[in-house]
Amino acid sequence: MDDLLNEFLTETGESIDVVDVELVKLEQDPNNKEVLDNIFRLVHTIKGTCGFLGLPRLESVAHASENVLGKFRDGDLEVSEHAVTVILESLDRIKEILAGLEATEEEPDGDDTQLIDHLGSIAAGRGMPAVKEVPETVEGAIVDVTLGRTLKEGEVSLEELEAVFNAAPGPGADSGPAEAEQPEPSAGGDTGGLLFDRIGGEDTLAVVAHLLAQRLGTNADLGKFFVGSSQDQRKGRVMGLMLSLFKDDLDTADNVGRQLVTVTGFGEEQFDLLLAEAKEVLVECQVDSDVADEAVMTFELVRESVITASKELAQATPNKAGKAKADTGDAAGGAQAANEPKRSNQSIRVSVDLLEELMNMVSELVLTRNQLLQITRNIDNAELAVPLQRLSQCTTELQENVMKTRMQPIGNAWAKLPRIVRDLTVELDKKIELVMIGADTELDRQVLELIKDPLTHMVRNSADHAIETPAERLANGKTEQGTVTLNAYHEGGHIIIQIKDDGRGIPVAKISDKILEKGLATEAELAEMSDGQIQKFIFHPGFSTAEKVTSVSGRGVGMDVVRSNIEKIGGTIDMVSIEGTGTTFAIKIPLTLAIVAGLIVKAGDNRYAIPQISVLELVRASENSEHKIENIKDTPVLRLRNRLLPLVYLNEVLGVMTREEIETRDAERERSDDFIVVTQVGPFTFGVVVDQIFDTEEIVVKPVAPILKELEIYSGNTILGDGSVIMTLDPNGIATKANAHVGDHEQTDKNSEDKAQQASSNEDESMLLFTAGGQNPRAVMLSLVARLEEIDIENVERADGKHMVQYRGALMPLVPASPDLKLKEDGRQPVLVFTDGDFTMGLAVDEIMDIIEQPLDIKLVSDQPGTVGSAIIDGKATEVVDVAHYLNLAFPDWLKSTDAADSGAPRDGASILLVDDSDFFRNMLRPVLTVAGYKVTAVNGGAEGLEKMAGGDMFDLIVSDIEMPEMNGLEFAAAVKASDKWANVPLVALSALANERDINRGLEAGFGDYIAKFDKEMLLRSLSQQLKIRGDAA
Amino acid sequence: MNDLIIRDDLSVVGSGRKDYVTIKVEDQTLGIPVLAVHDVLNPQRITHIPLAPSWVAGVLNLRGRIVTAIDLRSRLGLPPLGDDKKSMSVVVEHREDPYSLQIDSVGEVLSLDDQLFEKNPVTLDPRWRDVSRGIYRLEGELLPILDVDRLLAFESNGKAA
Repeated sequence: MDDLLNEFLTETGESIDVVDVELVKLEQDPNNKEVLDNIFRLVHTIKGTCGFLGLPRLESVAHASENVLGKFRDGDLEVSEHAVTVILESLDRIKEILAGLEATEEEPDGDDTQLIDHLGSIAAGRGMPAVKEVPETVEGAIVDVTLGRTLKEGEVSLEELEAVFNAAPGPGADSGPAEAEQPEPSAGGDTGGLLFDRIGGEDTLAVVAHLLAQRLGTNADLGKFFVGSSQDQRKGRVMGLMLSLFKDDLDTADNVGRQLVTVTGFGEEQFDLLLAEAKEVLVECQVDSDVADEAVMTFELVRESVITASKELAQATPNKAGKAKADTGDAAGGAQAANEPKRSNQSIRVSVDLLEELMNMVSELVLTRNQLLQITRNIDNAELAVPLQRLSQCTTELQENVMKTRMQPIGNAWAKLPRIVRDLTVELDKKIELVMIGADTELDRQVLELIKDPLTHMVRNSADHAIETPAERLANGKTEQGTVTLNAYHEGGHIIIQIKDDGRGIPVAKISDKILEKGLATEAELAEMSDGQIQKFIFHPGFSTAEKVTSVSGRGVGMDVVRSNIEKIGGTIDMVSIEGTGTTFAIKIPLTLAIVAGLIVKAGDNRYAIPQISVLELVRASENSEHKIENIKDTPVLRLRNRLLPLVYLNEVLGVMTREEIETRDAERERSDDFIVVTQVGPFTFGVVVDQIFDTEEIVVKPVAPILKELEIYSGNTILGDGSVIMTLDPNGIATKANAHVGDHEQTDKNSEDKAQQASSNEDESMLLFTAGGQNPRAVMLSLVARLEEIDIENVERADGKHMVQYRGALMPLVPASPDLKLKEDGRQPVLVFTDGDFTMGLAVDEIMDIIEQPLDIKLVSDQPGTVGSAIIDGKATEVVDVAHYLNLAFPDWLKSTDAADSGAPRDGASILLVDDSDFFRNMLRPVLTVAGYKVTAVNGGAEGLEKMAGGDMFDLIVSDIEMPEMNGLEFAAAVKASDKWANVPLVALSALANERDINRGLEAGFGDYIAKFDKEMLLRSLSQQLKIRGDAA
Repeated sequence: MNDLIIRDDLSVVGSGRKDYVTIKVEDQTLGIPVLAVHDVLNPQRITHIPLAPSWVAGVLNLRGRIVTAIDLRSRLGLPPLGDDKKSMSVVVEHREDPYSLQIDSVGEVLSLDDQLFEKNPVTLDPRWRDVSRGIYRLEGELLPILDVDRLLAFESNGKAA
């Protein structure tokens, strides 16, 4: 492609992007002259260059929009939303044509008459219709330094520009056909008090300017400061300065003032001389002496800017004059150069390909350097060491600097957003403010490119789906204007980007419906999910909840694409959404993809690299140390700071060895140390057991060949310092793979963070299976178990008729899990450790069998002490152990302690009706409440509860579950409140579902309090509180 | 420019010559168009990739480039090379990615007359038919020509193989 055209395309593309943003700014702040000038200049530049290159179609569109912009600037037309929309449209058209140009090197065919007519009619909308603008005379043309006004369509030619340049007394490099910037002189009539008029208006000023310019040039002391400018230019500047000063337009005066002096060294003294000269000229021109004094006084206002400008422009200015002359042909370009004298000199354009190439070469260099270092490590050669070290250092610096060239402010990715949001506000009739924080945060170009689209998509989503209409917002007690906030900042080796809105949040109900509709989960599954979990379904493939598809979003490509794009570059995305309040997305991405730190590990015969980013810590486990690998059935785990860390064997995940082989090998080896790399994937932490850990190395990750792409366990491959190729592991892939091995699918993977919540619902429970005194399996809820221990039987002591063991510096009672159970004679006794507050007890069992996740459904309620009942677990009848019973056995004062924890002692014998459909909970709560001093009557449903009422029973308090078949807790509460007998009985709701929405629903239905099912202390406190309230009321 | 010649059986062949590198796998000699071959390497250190398809021998480092090694024996349904022997590599490119074909040994470069070229016999093992462009009738033996692009087009048939 033609170099000139190429340059033009890049530059125009950039200008258009800037105009996009600026226009939106202008719309919000129509009086911002600076912004308007900037827009005008850019559009003008585009137009001018088009004419120069012979692109009539582009030029006519640019011209038409420039016309409208000109009217804005002259104040003939008010900046209106409609006009801005049309101008934006014309910018889009320009982009279209540019795209065509880029593809074919010719302007694509097309008809712009409609658009141009549209723009024309706007321009004509008020004041005069768009007339041919002919270069005007001297007056007023100078005030704005950046100004340039147009010829009629297609008439911009080199000669003309040159002619106009000479005719127009514009300052410095500025040129272009001039047009009256100021309102018509007559318009100034009603501001008669202005200094401008008292001096004698424009005519006098023109003369003054002429004379002053002449004298400044010849003045012995001042002349040297003005050698760089022609007399015409000086005249223009002086004229502009005076016009603005005398008309109280200080901003402009300031600007012009800065351009007045083009040579450095112009100080206080010189300025005084200038004033004297001005005074003299004014008087000469028969301006009243007082007025002249006043006029000269106004010059003081720009004293500072003139002097500082002279200092600042020390370097930039000397070439300006010459440049201005040379640039007459490319007037617009010159104008730009004059306005940005600094920037243009300090940066050059380099093609991205070149940078990529450079980066590749540096990567290779780094690798070769590493290789060299590795080789010389084994050679003792002082002669070689010094230059090698120098080479190493240079390489590092080179690498850093090349990386820097690839860094770009994230603002580049945001550039289009204001426009998008603005278009949305118009289209959807919303009011949205886009706040961008940290736009100058830098990140790698490659990463930037990759997150651009996801970001745009998300902001679009926020504006489209999240922010409500003004009416809706007002109704919800919010301000009319919604806010979308983008915030970017560095954190560690990552960039965090937050996209926050104060909109409606993600509607859980709607998402749930959609999940069901799409069959992504069953109703039962949904019921046990937290709101957060349900909301996160928006990351599922094929999810788009917008009720209607607008032109901006809801095209079916949704957040799943965003997520996969972000994960592709090693990033993560998280979301917190509160219905009615807003949503915050947080994206975490690495700064660069090119060179990362990798931990080199070994499994089997091969080495692998694990990205250092996902490595939390390294643990060495061995039989005799504090850390050792233990097995629950076949699941290896590690105790790490009082938490159980699930483990995967890398050998097994990679299919190099089976578990048996690993175990046999470990048994054969004398020193059976295991190295564990603790890894984090999203919220899921797990340990990867490897054979050996080497050091960390800077690696350049290269993508794997397409045939290996399907192996999600690898993220790429890399060449190490010794020249060998190794695979880099993707922790994400290991997690997925490991879960497939273990067989509990995504349970641990994606939902692990909600595991606790899952355990608390009465659907899926994690149950620990064991045997004690017989072959029958027994079960206990895993969430109740603090730790699993094997205690050396020799350490078990007898005291006070009980078995005790010294455990963590205290005595822990050991209770057999069954009367039939006999402690082992020798060896190690498996023990489940339960902790409640200060009480820790060990439950001795025969064998720990397995952990099972399944719904707990107690079939038979037991009256045996120590057993809650029997359930079918894993296809076998299993006794479910009542932990409370054993705690009570171990510590006779355990339950009393629970009383003591109560904030208020319950009234003696207050009677409670406990309504719950779950046998398990009735059985769990009844002893708790009984021991706390209540008389408890338990029923298994609302209907039965109402029967009690009909039967004339009275209770001091009712505790009810919410989720129950037939009559749910809310209906029950409503029935109770509606009755005359029980209307005053306080109600406490008890449910596994305890989010804000549920709580509000519960409170509406008449419950006095709403408590999560497992919060025993909270329940007791609430009960006494409710009783107290009632007591006070009575 | 090749002229076209009509044979007795009315099939049309070009008249001209093409150059091929011959390679040996098991006892079969195969031809690869000489222009497709970038490098021929002596036995290299190849990093095995667990979980990869069996016909992926691993990856190797070719002057700073990572090359995926394809086990041609496995790809063609032949038994693996004995433990004591090391395979040589012929580096080819497919969609701008370098691949190395692991073979027993490299033969010579032959310039062959187009008239000796035949289509694949219909009875050829489908696994071979997939990757063979056709066969040259040489004196004393037949030389199937490997179609490198089809050999490496795993995207479509990789799973089947």
